[in-house]
Amino acid sequence: MEEHSCGIGLRFEHIDRILKEQPNIPWLEVLSDNYLNPDSVQQDYLLSIAELYPLSLHGVGMSIGSVDPFNEDYFSLLKALIDRVNPQRVSDHLCWTAVHGRVTHDLIPLPYTDETIRYVAGRIREAQERLEREIVIENVSSYLQYKQSVMTEWEFFTAVVEEADCGLLLDVNNIYVSAMNHNFDPLDYLHAIPTRRVRQIHLAGYEDRGTHLLDTHGNHVTEPVWDLYAQAVKQLGNIPTLIEWDNDVPELEILLAEADKAGSIQLEHAA
Amino acid sequence: MNTPPESLKQLQTHFSEAVFSDQRGLIAESVTQQGALSAEQRVGIYRNSVHGILWQYLASLYPVCNQLVGEQFFEGFSDLFIDQHPPTTPFLADYGDGFAAFMREHEAFAKIRWINQVAELEWARHQAWHATNQVVSDFSLLGTLTEEQQLSAQFQLPDSMWVLHSPYAVHQVWLVHQPEDYGGKIPLEEIQLQQDDYIIVWRSERQLQQVQINEQQWQFLSAVRQNKSLAELSEQFQEQVGVLLASAIQHGWIISFRHY
Ligand SMILES: [Fe+2]
Repeated sequence: MEEHSCGIGLRFEHIDRILKEQPNIPWLEVLSDNYLNPDSVQQDYLLSIAELYPLSLHGVGMSIGSVDPFNEDYFSLLKALIDRVNPQRVSDHLCWTAVHGRVTHDLIPLPYTDETIRYVAGRIREAQERLEREIVIENVSSYLQYKQSVMTEWEFFTAVVEEADCGLLLDVNNIYVSAMNHNFDPLDYLHAIPTRRVRQIHLAGYEDRGTHLLDTHGNHVTEPVWDLYAQAVKQLGNIPTLIEWDNDVPELEILLAEADKAGSIQLEHAA
Repeated sequence: MNTPPESLKQLQTHFSEAVFSDQRGLIAESVTQQGALSAEQRVGIYRNSVHGILWQYLASLYPVCNQLVGEQFFEGFSDLFIDQHPPTTPFLADYGDGFAAFMREHEAFAKIRWINQVAELEWARHQAWHATNQVVSDFSLLGTLTEEQQLSAQFQLPDSMWVLHSPYAVHQVWLVHQPEDYGGKIPLEEIQLQQDDYIIVWRSERQLQQVQINEQQWQFLSAVRQNKSLAELSEQFQEQVGVLLASAIQHGWIISFRHY
């Protein structure tokens, strides 16, 4: 079989097995926030993993869209980790997570306005300067819209990454979840994405709560999201893709099978 | 200078009031009415999501407490804790300190004080896991010192080490709530709760360790922690000092020494 570029998220439950069995996985995405402390057992594990697999560092701690100043410790630890493991990509989200020193550890959407674009793009540029590299910004799923928004999410997302001159992580599941929650056509979103900025794709499972879809990362990727992914691959070509599954984490085999499924779609549809 | 927009500051302030104080009114005014859910319900999804993330994290830190008080109570109690002590750093592993103290203040725990101590033990395990790596001394060098230097030697416990003396059988309670089965596992009701327990928790390389020790070992490690010199330790433990020291070094309870 041809090689695809679909990886999985590294979960601590699987680390010992991965180190021991060294399964064939094109790359791993790591939740950087859990491995930041130097001289810690967590980082030791990650350094062992980094010797075997290409890594992408994915975080929630930057709080890019927050009105709070950046957390100095967070950035210096992240920079040190980047220098140590030399990741292929460093990503965080187009959202805010903390304000006035209170940290939600969740991904909260921003209002889609021109002044937010300017502010957030400036924050991304600052983050890139601090880390001395490009960062990659991901769209989040959302359950509400703000009255002050004056444009669509994809217009906002596109404007931010263009003005910030950063990479883009397209979460196909998040597009679908938000599309269903806010009643728009996910293909409109997809077609508006600046193709040349896309560095990575996320896939995950959601839960249907009746009144809304909830992005839980706790299940298989659903059929409509696979379909949307096939469309994305047609449009964008062969982009490194990752299965996110961090709640009710299954056996490694199930994650790898999900990545292979993405891989076969990739090989079938990429031009 | 990239100054945050005033309106964004206000929006985030109001949002965080909804998430950590359940004051949803102000942020709901900024949220569009759409579909089957009200603006307040939409904000509520975020409050539930944040609380869900943090509650699940607390349940992973305090798995035995979670079983002891029941998942439903634990979730409700976590909600109280999260509102009154929200996380203050982007490092999730920092969060959950003070959970045991919060239990102590709560009247539901007044008659089950021993559960606090289980919480302290569980926090100690978490801390020990995340403690900074340390270099272990070459203890054979002790033998090359002059007698005077030896007597001046002081010993260090691992930074990860936590030493507890409890009036309750905390270790046994913890043990019978582990998922693994083992010979002699008994139900909680059969444990004699009121009995002195001496427990140490530490990390050795990639292994988290937890063992019961006896009263004398506990006194010895406590004295070491107070930076007593070998001369003072010999004074206190007399002819036992050699065995106590050798066994502490062998188990990795003492990892380094310095002398003057
Ligand atoms: Fe994602």
